Amino acid sequence: MVDFGRVQKELQECNKDINVSGISVNPKFDNLINLIGTIPGPVGTPYEGGTFKIDIDLPEAYPFEPPRMKFATKVWHPNISSQSGAICLDILKDQWSPALTLKTALLSIQALLSAPEPDDPQDAVVAQQYLKDYQTFASTARYWTESFAKTSSLGVEDKVQKLVEMGFPEGLVRSTLEAVGGDENLALEKLCSG
Amino acid sequence: MVYDSIANALIPSPASNPKDLAKKKRVNRTAKLKQSKLDVRREQWLSQVKNKGSKEENRGADRPKTPARDMHGSNEGESRPMVKLVINPGGGEENDGMMNHYSDWESPSNSPTSHTSSLASNRSVTNFTGGSSSGSSSSSSGSGSCGCYSGSMTEEDDGDDGCLDDWEAIADALAADEIKSETDHNINPESQVNDHVPQLEPVETVKDEGMNCHVQVNRRAWRPDDAFRPQGLPNLLKQNSFPMNSERNHGSGAWGFKTAGFSPIPMTCPICCEDLDLTDSSFLPCPCGYRLCLFCYKRILEDNGRCPGCRKQYEQCEQGIVTSKMARSYSMIPSR
Repeated sequence: MVDFGRVQKELQECNKDINVSGISVNPKFDNLINLIGTIPGPVGTPYEGGTFKIDIDLPEAYPFEPPRMKFATKVWHPNISSQSGAICLDILKDQWSPALTLKTALLSIQALLSAPEPDDPQDAVVAQQYLKDYQTFASTARYWTESFAKTSSLGVEDKVQKLVEMGFPEGLVRSTLEAVGGDENLALEKLCSG
Repeated sequence: MVYDSIANALIPSPASNPKDLAKKKRVNRTAKLKQSKLDVRREQWLSQVKNKGSKEENRGADRPKTPARDMHGSNEGESRPMVKLVINPGGGEENDGMMNHYSDWESPSNSPTSHTSSLASNRSVTNFTGGSSSGSSSSSSGSGSCGCYSGSMTEEDDGDDGCLDDWEAIADALAADEIKSETDHNINPESQVNDHVPQLEPVETVKDEGMNCHVQVNRRAWRPDDAFRPQGLPNLLKQNSFPMNSERNHGSGAWGFKTAGFSPIPMTCPICCEDLDLTDSSFLPCPCGYRLCLFCYKRILEDNGRCPGCRKQYEQCEQGIVTSKMARSYSMIPSR
């Protein structure tokens, strides 16, 4: 049984100083089990300017067990899967403590964005690139931030609408958009090439 | 050497003060004496900075006039920064002196510079106290001790504060080098003058001791509600605008914040957010000081048994004390 009293309080506390931290947690649906957290990309990193959404699922035993968190926004980072958004962070696993909160966990993820640990990678390809060719890594990460994490980008329906107006069938547009992770430019490329 | 420069600075006081002092209260007198002390200190500093050589001349010229009052200046050698604060009230006696003080208070300078600048202003105060004759004598003595300064001295005697700028500039430039030697010199005259003074005027020595006691008491700036606070003192606003004071205020504020931030026993359990009852709040399961309610504690023991605050195993950090405490306060658990 999730401790809803605590979750409720955490949401209030977190959203109280959203102006300072930039971190927010909101219910995804009509319950307090599935939440959406957002963190701003740290300044001075390739993720600067992006807003990253994080899927949060609270286990039954929360807060005695860590919340399950993964990136909903695609991100190019050695410790975050570029495919699934899975996060490699100790406090979300064995180093979790009930004294931590959703907000502190999100803060830790934000810190992870600014301080990657390529020696303990989640995404081996990204980690290799980070170690061997940092410039390419940084430009890729920046490109992904531009493509996926900018709030100015249109909503899914708008993108579908836009691509359909270009003459592509709606079903194909949706599947392509989904395949490329919601980026309309990549989808357009794929649609044109394929 | 230094003693001579002290004597040099003190010429005005004995020359003109006696009749004034006779009329005034003892408080006024102490204030003036302190002014003269500062005067001494400034002169001393000047002579050290400017000409180590020309002091030889001064000695010959000024020695005959040396008053017993030198002892103040020398005795104050070690508590100089305090003297500055104590002396300022005295300056309020004369209007002209007050003007100088105001300018002094308002100058946004920190300790070394402000020290010298206050010395400068206090010197001018002394001059005004002494009257025109003393002023001229001091200016002449100033020119005697260091020729290049005689011009500015005279200006100062005329009530012009322009010399303060010179003073501060020079003090800024030389403070770093001179501080050490200055303190050395300050200590030396103490012994010298103590030898001299009793021979010259033993009566003064007794008074000096009394005044020194007074100074000892007044080691801080005047409080606004102090009964002895001279009316001529700059008002509170000015004092607050003085960098040192504002810094002190800020410091106390930080202190208050620190003490306020000292972690008290939380009102609610940080894990489950329920209120802590008396048993909970007296329950300290881990030496790291992390508190939580008994329910959450039991839940953690069933789980991995690590303290949420420091991640150490409860069994390790508990040892005997807490376990026995647990046995009493937690007797309901085993029965379940």
